[in-house]
Amino acid sequence: MKKKIFLLIFLAMVAFLLAGKSLFVQVLRSQLLAKPDFLSRSLASLSKGARLELIETQGSWYLVKNSNGLKGYVHRSAVIKSKSTLSGAIPYKKGASDQELALAAKGFNEGNEKKLRGGREYDFAAVDWVLDQGVPPAAVAAFVREGKLK
Amino acid sequence: MKKLPQQSWIRALDSKFKICSKELTNFRICYKALMLLVCLCLLMAAWKSPINLSKLNKAKKAADLVAGTTHKISEEEEYYIGRAVAANILSQYRLWKNIALSRYLNLIGKALVLKSVRPEIFGGYHFALLDSAEANALSAPGGIIFLSRGIVEMAENEDELAAILAHEIQHIVSKDPLKAIKSQRLKSLGAFAAGEALGSSNEVLGIFKNSVLDITGTLLQKGYSRGQEKNADLGALKLLAATGYNPYALLSILKKCQAIEKKKAKAFSAHPSASNRMNYVRDALKRVSASDMRIRCIRFKKSVPR
Repeated sequence: MKKKIFLLIFLAMVAFLLAGKSLFVQVLRSQLLAKPDFLSRSLASLSKGARLELIETQGSWYLVKNSNGLKGYVHRSAVIKSKSTLSGAIPYKKGASDQELALAAKGFNEGNEKKLRGGREYDFAAVDWVLDQGVPPAAVAAFVREGKLK
Repeated sequence: MKKLPQQSWIRALDSKFKICSKELTNFRICYKALMLLVCLCLLMAAWKSPINLSKLNKAKKAADLVAGTTHKISEEEEYYIGRAVAANILSQYRLWKNIALSRYLNLIGKALVLKSVRPEIFGGYHFALLDSAEANALSAPGGIIFLSRGIVEMAENEDELAAILAHEIQHIVSKDPLKAIKSQRLKSLGAFAAGEALGSSNEVLGIFKNSVLDITGTLLQKGYSRGQEKNADLGALKLLAATGYNPYALLSILKKCQAIEKKKAKAFSAHPSASNRMNYVRDALKRVSASDMRIRCIRFKKSVPR
């Protein structure tokens, strides 16, 4: 009986310790990559707030599992360990508490940007043009190869 | 009913008591083990729980405010303040909408960013051109980097363009633009956010506007400190080497800046003198090796109008 109980405790502890910690995507868009390398194949797109299960840390990279059970790598700069520190977009989240809404309204956010729009001192249309000139990861990979970069 | 002799009655009772005692001991062990398991699970759950972390964060925030701590700018807030800074810069300088050159600049910039210590930021890095003859480069918070037409024309090859971009990327990595915001503004914002002080939406908007002006003032006039510039230069050398660009390109672009400075043209008004920067860059270059940049010259000539 005693042996069974201790075995049960031991197994429970091992199971708990092996269970992955949660990570949350803190950037607007990121990729779940096949290898710990930005130029490797993308397995899935990740958007802000997505929950990932941490399996292993490899230098600046995390091996994670997404909600569909897909395993891949994400750079540590793209994720955060606590969802509570994600801010700003909270007002548009369903079920945000009054306190969350109040906190989010008191920072540098989209709401305050809207109040600046239209003023002569700010050209947000030009900023949006700049942000639209992105280059896809495949083009960057080809550029790196052609230029004998690393 | 047959009466047991006294001795055998005592013996029977004793053996029954022993059985009970054994069961009781087993029950106690079971109970203790179960309680231990429950406590362990509760402790682990509490340790892992994001709710608990959030409570701890809030408690820390409250404690920090008592000590007069500032509002900590999140990645997303950095993005929004960066958009406003960029919008302010673009209200003063005309955007050069050269799509092919913008793409080329973005490819160089993205190749560098992937090797930086902060490759992923909220809205990603973006590189744009300003239609200005001044030789200048600016980095808004949140990853929007501007290069003037003047500085692009000054660069003679891709590696020199990469050197300018690497320097600006390092400012973003170190969050230098955010450090230009006056601490008092962030203290007030922190107090409003925690409910320590009442801040109307106009007051918060005022802090937002003034923070933008603090940053644009530093980018366009005041400039970063010598220490920040030195860190950006030294970080740029490492970034260039890590990406496969020739780190000596930073020295060659600084030489060009020095030549312009001698002519007393309005160049790098927000940077310390080029000759001062060249001294420590030369010293740092002793520890890195040059790379062959000829292969990248063809695409540079194709992409950069002369």
